[in-house]
Amino acid sequence: MIRISKFFIFVVALSLLFSCGGTSENTESDGFDDFSVPDSVLADDEPLVVSEQAMEGIISNMSSPVEMASLIKESGAQFNYKYLNSSDNIDSYNTGFEQALNLGIYGADLGYLNMYNKTGTVLSYITSIKTLSDNLKVGQFFDFSTLKRLATNSDNLDSLMYISVSSFDQMDVFLRENNRSDVSALIVTGVWLEGLYLATQVVKETPNKEIAERIGEQKLMMNDLLLILNNFKRNKKFFELIEKINKIKDLFKEVTITYEVGEPEAVEVDGILTIVQNETSIVNITDEQINSIATEVENVRNFIVK
Amino acid sequence: MKKIVIILISLIVFVFVVKSQCNSSLVTICSSGLAKNAMYLKELKVKLKAKEAGKKAPIARYSLMLNKGNHYRISVCNAKEFSGKAIVQLYDKDRLMGSSYMGKKHYPAFDFICKKTAVYKVLISFEGGKSGCAVGILSMID
Repeated sequence: MIRISKFFIFVVALSLLFSCGGTSENTESDGFDDFSVPDSVLADDEPLVVSEQAMEGIISNMSSPVEMASLIKESGAQFNYKYLNSSDNIDSYNTGFEQALNLGIYGADLGYLNMYNKTGTVLSYITSIKTLSDNLKVGQFFDFSTLKRLATNSDNLDSLMYISVSSFDQMDVFLRENNRSDVSALIVTGVWLEGLYLATQVVKETPNKEIAERIGEQKLMMNDLLLILNNFKRNKKFFELIEKINKIKDLFKEVTITYEVGEPEAVEVDGILTIVQNETSIVNITDEQINSIATEVENVRNFIVK
Repeated sequence: MKKIVIILISLIVFVFVVKSQCNSSLVTICSSGLAKNAMYLKELKVKLKAKEAGKKAPIARYSLMLNKGNHYRISVCNAKEFSGKAIVQLYDKDRLMGSSYMGKKHYPAFDFICKKTAVYKVLISFEGGKSGCAVGILSMID
């Protein structure tokens, strides 16, 4: 009896070990495949103009909304609620198109709120993001109980920022992996537009060279953004959005970016290897150009937030 | 009999624990090690097989938009169950700007003081073409 028990345990243990090995091999071939929930595919199954791989590159190129919010805060501009899309507007967003765009808008607003440590208001924005992401069937990437807990204490800002940004990244990867790049493109557009809206509103009231330059640099991103949106231009709503963003693009035509070359230097600062870039970019943008861009950006944003 | 059971259970637990780093938990571990003045921006996850004979060592490629005026940090964390140590390289087009491996020394992170807004390339490979699993965390320093 004892022999049988020993043999039985040995076989169970071996099979467990082998089953672990199998999982590891699967992971090895697929990389980090921890988002395996199946979802719907694009309704329109015509081939994309830009490949999924190229889209992935373009979308990941878009700067984090946290960077724009950080620049705004560093400029010394005071926090202002009037710049935000009210979380009460959520009931107005009934279609997937509206929900995806405004999920991006709220995502950028969340970055702005977090940056200014407005933890009290963050809660209502997290709730709106939860509602929209649930409607879009991507709510699984937001750990809302943790986000809400973190939002109750301003000491948790770092964790709150990390989980917020990471959740949006995971959701974006999932959407693209599940042939829902149209939704991903709309969210990215919303994030980008709100970042530009915040910057233009702030710089109108508090002129700042760095923010003005960052606005001008959006010229670099516009073509890429339009490239991914154009994939879906057969859709009437997308076509309308593209037309509006093209109007913003036209205003960037006269904005110029020049470069001064230089060799990078590597130094060790406090034990950290630091590379200092000596090639610089210089953005030439006038106040008039900023004002025109600000007006057009506001028009497009009003079309989205209602 | 008890000893055998304990040894087997310990062995199973060990296997689970040791094999558990190459997933999202590595991102959490790596981001929790960020300095207080570092703000998390993005993660770059990579898992590569060992170099095959007669072929080039596998490399993962990413692109990142980095903004002028920002001080960035790229931190690297390796999953313990793999022998490969990640080498993260930052390129501006074809020009190497910086690397986590310089002078035969691995750095756990390197900083990049950006003066030109552009799309940069990040290449991640493993030293000696070994198989490996790692995460690169891009953060912004205040």
